[in-house]
Amino acid sequence: MIVLWPIAAITFKEGIRDRALYGITLFALSLLGFSLLLSNMAPRDVGKVAVDMALSTISFAGLLLVLFVGINLMAKDLDKRTIYSVLSRPVSRSEYVVGKFFGLCLLIVAVVVFLSIFALLSILMLKLSYPNYFEKFAWSLVILAITFEGAMLILLSAISFFFASLTSTSFVTLVLTVISYLIGNSIRDVKALVESPAAAGIQISPVMVKTVQAAYYLFPNLSLFDVKIQAAHGLPIPLNYILLLLLYFVVYSSLVITLAALIFRRKEFP
Amino acid sequence: MKALETQGISKGFAGNIGVKRIQALSDLNLQIDQGEVFGFLGPNGAGKSTSIKILLNLIYPDSGRATIMGKDVKEKEARRRVGYLPENPYFYDYLSADELLWFAGRVSGIDKEELKIRADMLLHKVNLQKARSRHIRTYSKGMVQRAGLAMALIHNPDIIILDEPMSGLDPLGRKMVGDLILDLKSQGKTVFFSSHILTDIERFCDRVGIIVGGELQLMDTLDNLLKNNATLEDIFLKVVETAGGGNEA
Repeated sequence: MIVLWPIAAITFKEGIRDRALYGITLFALSLLGFSLLLSNMAPRDVGKVAVDMALSTISFAGLLLVLFVGINLMAKDLDKRTIYSVLSRPVSRSEYVVGKFFGLCLLIVAVVVFLSIFALLSILMLKLSYPNYFEKFAWSLVILAITFEGAMLILLSAISFFFASLTSTSFVTLVLTVISYLIGNSIRDVKALVESPAAAGIQISPVMVKTVQAAYYLFPNLSLFDVKIQAAHGLPIPLNYILLLLLYFVVYSSLVITLAALIFRRKEFP
Repeated sequence: MKALETQGISKGFAGNIGVKRIQALSDLNLQIDQGEVFGFLGPNGAGKSTSIKILLNLIYPDSGRATIMGKDVKEKEARRRVGYLPENPYFYDYLSADELLWFAGRVSGIDKEELKIRADMLLHKVNLQKARSRHIRTYSKGMVQRAGLAMALIHNPDIIILDEPMSGLDPLGRKMVGDLILDLKSQGKTVFFSSHILTDIERFCDRVGIIVGGELQLMDTLDNLLKNNATLEDIFLKVVETAGGGNEA
């Protein structure tokens, strides 16, 4: 396992120097600047808007990071055969997958922390300018929401690794990851709808109900990580929710990466 | 104990829809002794790179077994004493030669002090000391090849596998690689390299193997082959013609 750190380190360095990342960061910082401008121009519900904009910016930039930098970090290894320089060493395929994943986790943490500094600064500036709108505001909730966003991005990366181990092209991995993201963010609501169709005045076939229920347990429930509304409205989040969600994150990510590593062991690189 | 050995290795690749399965290797038996320089010859698509990739466990044989110093190639420890330079190597764009060597050295288990000494020595040898901090993406093809060579040798391996090491190099680069192979030979290292350039094979190798259409057609010492004033080129062309192989790629 001593090989994990060098693999993680070069993955992190390769990712942090990727020019696409600079574009994503610049875009995120522009969004934060725009949110400041907007709040100053039309100061209504500034507290809620500031928190929501700051968290949404981190969430969106993080998603772009996973989809356009993260997926490429592994796909480029396979497409351009950089993987030869790793696997021709005393490194197993499983160690390669885990090391690469750790590197991407480091990258996500670094980018989220960097963007969070600016996001929190933008909130602080508005809080100082419009203190009346921040009566229910709590820094702890915002930081917790950012932590959950980071965890969601890491979980999504684990899923992208799983798809990368199954497919041979980065485009298919990208498409499957995006689909998982969309399903993961909506499956809770869809499940609630199909289980109580009468409330919406619609009819759902039993097969559809079973399918949605199966998808609910198969796909990650990413909407659980979204606590932007609670953070924006200053609504407390129960401790057992936090602990259970972290447990869910650790178990699901570990399981998906283990599966990816198992599949990768059978992969050939002609 | 043989440095490298394959026993009855066969490997096929599934073709695309409507294209029949391609048999890349058939019953390949190779034995490479410790300390010898072995040249692996063959036309394009003959199975040279496939054989090398099986030896490095990058692809799996359909049947047969490959070993490095007696260890099955499926064990990752078998690769600890092996240095490998792929054909047309491609490395991480945003890493420098220094970082590449750090990575290769650390995963191969050498300590920091030795790593620094060897990195300095090798970068000097491959003439990359001035470009060592630059990102690989700014390198020319020859510089990438030389960085790959330094990477292959960073952990002072006993066995060096080079797949077309002269590919993309200018005459100066070719001379540098040639000198490096001779240096490795003088140190008693095992060198297994594939090449199209017959003069290089004649210059460096103790023994050669000629593979055509995935089948090993000939394996002998260079001294035996070149007695009676025969040239390697004549022998190579005759073997390829007899086997009915040609330039398929």
